[in-house]
Amino acid sequence: MKKGGLILLFGLLLGTAGFSGFYYLGTAPCRSMIHGPQPELAWLKKEFALSDAEFARISALHEAYVPQCAERCRVTEQQNRKLKELLAKNPTVTPEIQNLLDERARNRAQCEAEMLKHFQEVSRAMPPEQGRRYLAWVQEQTVLRGQAMENRHKMGGGGHMMDMTKEPHL
Amino acid sequence: MNPNQNPDSDERLRSVLREWVVDAPLPPRFQEQVWKRIARAEAPSESSFWTALARLVEVVLPRPKIAFSYVAALLVLGVTAGSVTAQIKSSHLDATLRARYVQAVDPYRADSPQP
Repeated sequence: MKKGGLILLFGLLLGTAGFSGFYYLGTAPCRSMIHGPQPELAWLKKEFALSDAEFARISALHEAYVPQCAERCRVTEQQNRKLKELLAKNPTVTPEIQNLLDERARNRAQCEAEMLKHFQEVSRAMPPEQGRRYLAWVQEQTVLRGQAMENRHKMGGGGHMMDMTKEPHL
Repeated sequence: MNPNQNPDSDERLRSVLREWVVDAPLPPRFQEQVWKRIARAEAPSESSFWTALARLVEVVLPRPKIAFSYVAALLVLGVTAGSVTAQIKSSHLDATLRARYVQAVDPYRADSPQP
């Protein structure tokens, strides 16, 4: 029993050690990324196989872009708050509300243009093939895709576009 | 032939046994105890699984070929499970970081992660 028990225990220990070792080694790159200073940029480096020089350039671009983006977010937030207040006071669309909506739309358009410029700069800092891949991916992932509104109308949940597209067939 | 199995002595033994009278009293509830023992012996053993397992560990596992196969199988199982789990975990972390990058560059996606 003693010898058999020892073999049983040894097998279990070896199995556990194998599991732990391979799990530890397999997750090591991801763990080092997530505990790094900028995990999302570390992910970008890995995903698009960037060299250290390319990564440094892209990190600098990112560092320059983020504060500007935050400032535009602050402006948008102010506009949203003001719009809420005006809508609470007025039951109709006053010229002031109309102006604010125009302003907010301009801010959003500027925000999207700056975002696109940043993506293009980042893609240019990458090797050409990776840059093209990055640009295609990032445009697909971000609001630049603009699919939410299109889908809303395509789904027919009270959207008039669907009705319009159906009309010729009726 | 065994000398104890002599037909004459056998016959004598039989006659002695025929004359023998047991006058010692039976212990109390003797019959009930006997039936209980019979029932216990006939009932399927509840610990048969553990007995078999103990026998396996005690007798079968120490055989060199079996021991080697057992250890090798557990090692392969552990390594495979570790690799697969690490892969799942890595792809999950990868998706999280991807979503974090998108949120960092797109303020309109900040509240709606797209892993």
